[in-house]
Amino acid sequence: MHLRMNRIARALIALLGTLALIGCGTNDKGDPLAETPRDVAQEIVSYPVGGVLPNELTWETNNEDPIFASADAKPGGTFRDYVLAFPLTIRRVGPDSNGSFAGYTRAGFLSLVSLHPNTRNFIPTLATHWAFDDDGKTVYYRLHPNAKWSDGTPITADDYLYTLDFMRSKHIVAPWYNNHYATQIVNVVKYDDYTISIEGGSAKPKDEILYEYSMGPVPKHFHVLDQNWVRENNWKVEPNNGPYQISKIEKGKYIEFTRKKDWWGNDLKYYRYRFNPDRIRVRVIRDVNIALQHFFKGELDTFGGVLPEFWHDKFKGKDFDNGYIHKIWFYTDNPQPASGMWLNQSNSILSDRKVRYGLAHAMNIDKVIATVLRGDYRRQHTHHEGYGDYSNTSIRARAFDLTIANTLLDEAGWTERDDRGIRTKGQQTLSLRVTYGQSHHTPRLVILREEAKKAGIDLTLQLLDSSISFKQMLEKKHQIAWMGWSGGGLSPRYRQFYHSDNANKPQNNNLTNNAVPQMDTLIDQYRAATEKTDRVELAHQLEQMLHDTGAVIFTFKVPYTRDAYWRWMKLPEFRGTRVGGLFNPMGGQFWIDELERQSVLDNTAPQSAPVSILDTTYLSE
Amino acid sequence: MKLRPQLNPLTQRQLARFRSLKRGYWSAVILLITIVLSIGAELLVNSRALIVSYEGNWFFPTYGKYLPGSTFDLGYEYETNFRELKVFFERQPSNSNWLIMPLVPYNAFEVDLPAGRYPPNAPSLSEKHYLGTDTTGRDVLARLVYGFRIAISFSLILLICNYTIGVALGCAMGFWGGAFDLFFQRVIEVWSNVPFLYVIMIIASVIIPNFWTLMIVMVIFGWMSMTWYMRTSTYKEKTRAYVLAARALGASNARVIFTHILPNSISIIVTFVPFAIAGGITSLTALDYLGFGLPPPTPSWGELLSQGTSRLESPWLVTSVVGAMVAILLMVTYVGEAVREAFDPKKFTYYE
Repeated sequence: MHLRMNRIARALIALLGTLALIGCGTNDKGDPLAETPRDVAQEIVSYPVGGVLPNELTWETNNEDPIFASADAKPGGTFRDYVLAFPLTIRRVGPDSNGSFAGYTRAGFLSLVSLHPNTRNFIPTLATHWAFDDDGKTVYYRLHPNAKWSDGTPITADDYLYTLDFMRSKHIVAPWYNNHYATQIVNVVKYDDYTISIEGGSAKPKDEILYEYSMGPVPKHFHVLDQNWVRENNWKVEPNNGPYQISKIEKGKYIEFTRKKDWWGNDLKYYRYRFNPDRIRVRVIRDVNIALQHFFKGELDTFGGVLPEFWHDKFKGKDFDNGYIHKIWFYTDNPQPASGMWLNQSNSILSDRKVRYGLAHAMNIDKVIATVLRGDYRRQHTHHEGYGDYSNTSIRARAFDLTIANTLLDEAGWTERDDRGIRTKGQQTLSLRVTYGQSHHTPRLVILREEAKKAGIDLTLQLLDSSISFKQMLEKKHQIAWMGWSGGGLSPRYRQFYHSDNANKPQNNNLTNNAVPQMDTLIDQYRAATEKTDRVELAHQLEQMLHDTGAVIFTFKVPYTRDAYWRWMKLPEFRGTRVGGLFNPMGGQFWIDELERQSVLDNTAPQSAPVSILDTTYLSE
Repeated sequence: MKLRPQLNPLTQRQLARFRSLKRGYWSAVILLITIVLSIGAELLVNSRALIVSYEGNWFFPTYGKYLPGSTFDLGYEYETNFRELKVFFERQPSNSNWLIMPLVPYNAFEVDLPAGRYPPNAPSLSEKHYLGTDTTGRDVLARLVYGFRIAISFSLILLICNYTIGVALGCAMGFWGGAFDLFFQRVIEVWSNVPFLYVIMIIASVIIPNFWTLMIVMVIFGWMSMTWYMRTSTYKEKTRAYVLAARALGASNARVIFTHILPNSISIIVTFVPFAIAGGITSLTALDYLGFGLPPPTPSWGELLSQGTSRLESPWLVTSVVGAMVAILLMVTYVGEAVREAFDPKKFTYYE
C-alpha cells in the first residue's frame, strides 16, 4: 500500500512538475499533491540519542568547486515579480500548499546538502561534512554550527529528529510527506547536537542516497502539532534558514520578502555574491497579458519568454529598440522532462508493433517545431536526455517518412482506405484517440493530425481538463496519451514507467502498459547495481530496448530559458548556471542597479542598440 | 381555384406589415440567404476542386470519396492537394487539363504553413486567405463559414427541441391547470435554479462533448423559459368566447388545443424565435470560448474568439470573428424587432 501511494504521489508530482515547466520554468523538487489522506505511519518512533558513531567513517566535504556568482554583484534594491493567483496559504505542507507560490516559500528552507549547479557535485549547505555507512542506506552528517533559524535559534540535531515527528504527523494533512518520511526516510539518529545520521528505506549508490535523503529541518521550537495546526499556520510566518524571510503580507495584493542582514550563510563560499536584492515583492496579476503590460511599464523587472508567441511576437516595442529592455535566450543542460505520445500497447490497434512504428513515422514532429513552435523547441529522441553519461545519445527518434509509414501499415494489414482516405482493416478504422490536457497544445496536435491523414491515420483529439486527462491516463483508458513527465534526479528511472509489474493495472506510471520480460530483467539489475559504470551500461541498453518497442513517440524538449529584462537588471559575465534560473528571485546571481532604474524610468538614460543575447554555453548538441 | 392556400386575413396583414419594415425584412432575407449558402458551403469554401478535367475525364470531387493523388499521377496515395494540382496544370498549358477551385480554396481543418512565416498570417489576396489564418495556419474565413453552419444548425435544432417541450408542457399546464399546473410550476422553478454553466463544465471535463451531447444538455436545462409564456397565454385563451363555443359544439381537448388555442398563441412563439436563435448562437460561442464546447479541431467562433483575444497583436483574428458575430446577431435582432412589431396584437386584434 505504501508503495502504491508513493507511485501515485510521484505521478502527480511529475505531472505538476511538467506543468510548471511548461508554464513558468522548473521547480526542481516538485512537491506532492497527494490524494486522499490515509493512515500512514501514525506512530511516533522513539529515537536512540547519544549513540556511538562508527569509527571507520570517512568524512567528505566539497570546498574545491568554483563559485557560481560574480564578485561584481551589488547588494540592494527591490526585485518585483508576479504570480497569477494569491496563495491560499503560506504553509510549506498541508492542504493548498502546493500552488505556484510554494517555490518562493520553500526556497527559504535549505536542506543538508545541495547540488552545485555547474559541476553537479554535492556542496555543503546546512551540513558541513557527510559520510557513508557500509550498509548502503545510511548517511552521516555534521551540521553547520552557525546555522540559525530566522528568529536566532540555532539549528541543532533536535530539529532534524523533530522533522520525522512533524512530517509523519496526521495533523499536517499531507499524505505524501507522511508516506515519504516513513518509507523513504526511515530513521534519524542524533549523536550530538551537531552530528546526525539519516537512514533510508533501501540501499542505493552513494550519490543517490545523498541526493534523496538530504532533508531539511523543521523548527521544533515553533510548531505545536495538534488538530488546529493546518488552520493556525495558514498565515503564520514560520522561521526559516534561507537568506529571505516574508516581511509583509497584503492579502490579495502582494507578499514581500526581505533579505536577512546578518544571515548565517552570508560568508559561506557558495553563498557569497548571491541573493543580492534587499527585497522581493511578489504581486498578484491575474492575467499573463496584463502582467506583460505591467512589465512594459517598468513595474516588473523581468518577464519569462519560453513560449514562442511571447518571445517572437509580444517582446517588441520601442523600449526593446532603444536598448532599455534586453532579451536573453540561455541554453541549459539539465535532466529534460520526457514529453511524448505514450501508446497504450494493450489497445487492439496499438498492440501491433508495426502500427506503432508506422505511427511514429507518420508524426511530423519536425513540422510542428518548424511552424507553430517557431523552430525553437527541439526534437526529443529518448526518455532520458540531459542525464550526462546515462543518456543514450546514439538513439535517434523515428523520423517523419510517409513511404516507411505506408509500408509498415500495409504490412500490418491496414491496406484498404475509406471515403476520407483513412485506412481500414476488416470492420476497423485506423482511428486513434489522443488524450491531452493543455488547450495551448491544440495547434501542435492539429498539425500532426493533418499530416497523419496523409498516411491514412485518423487522430481524434480529446482535450480534457488537465487533472481529468491525467486520471484517465493513470487508469489506462487512453489510446494515446499526450503528456510529459518531469525530469529530475541524478539518474534515469525505468521501473515506474516500463516494468511489467505496473502494466495493465490502474494508478501507476506505466502508461504504455509495457511488459517486456527482457526489459524487466534489466530494470531489476539496474535497480540493484551500485556501480555507476554498470548502471550507465544498463541504462543505455534499456533505452535502446525502449526504442525498439516503439511504445513512446517522444516529441519536444525545451533545453533553454528565455527572458526579457530591463537593463537595470545585471547578470554576471557567465550570465547563468548550467540549470538556468537567471532571474530566479530566491537563488539567482543577478543584481539590481537602482540608479539606472531611476534614470531609465525618468527617461534620462541614454539609448543604445537593441540587445538580444543568445548564450549557447550549455547547449549540449 | 387558387394554388396558394388562403391565409387568414389577419396573418396576411401581419406579413404585409413585416414586409413593410424594411430593416427587419432585408435582414431576414440576408440571413436566409446566408443560411442556405452555408448549407452548400462545400461548393464555396473547400480545398477540393469543383470540377477537374484530366486526360479527358471529368471529376467532381466536392462530395463523396476522396481522390488520392495517384488519380492525377501525382505519386502519392493521400488526398490530392488541388491547389498544387492547379498550379501544376497551369505550368503545362500544352495539356488540356484544367480545374476550377471554389471561391475560397481552403477547408476548415487543413493547415497552410508557408515556409519562413509563422502563423497566424495576415490576410492576403494572393494566397486567397481573405481573412488571414489562425494560430495554427488554418483559413479564418473557412473556419468562420463552417463555424457559422454548426452554430446556426445547433441553434435551430435547439430551438425546435426547446419549443416543442416548452410549448407542449406550457400548454398542458395552462389547459388543465390545477394540481398538474402547480406540480410542474414547482418542478420548473427548482430546475431553473440548477447552475447550468457548472453542469456543462462538469460534463465537459468528464466526457468529450459532441454536437448531440451538448444539445441534449442544453435542452435539458433550456426548455423552461417558454413554458411560462405558453401557460399564461393558454390560461387566457381558454376562457375566451371562441374556445367556449368550440367546447359547446363538442370539440375534443386535442381539437381545442391544436386548432383553437395554439394558432391564437402563435404570435407569442414567433416573437421569441429570433431572440432564441441569437441566444443559441451566443451560448455555443460562449461555451467554445471557455473551452467547454465542441472539441477541437471543430471550427468554432468561440475558439477563434479566444485565439483572437489572447493574440491582439494579430488583429485580423479578433476583428473577423467579432465582425461576423455582430453582423449575424444584429440581423437576428432586427428580424426579431420587426416580427414583434408585425405581430403586435395591439395593432390588429379586435376586442369585442
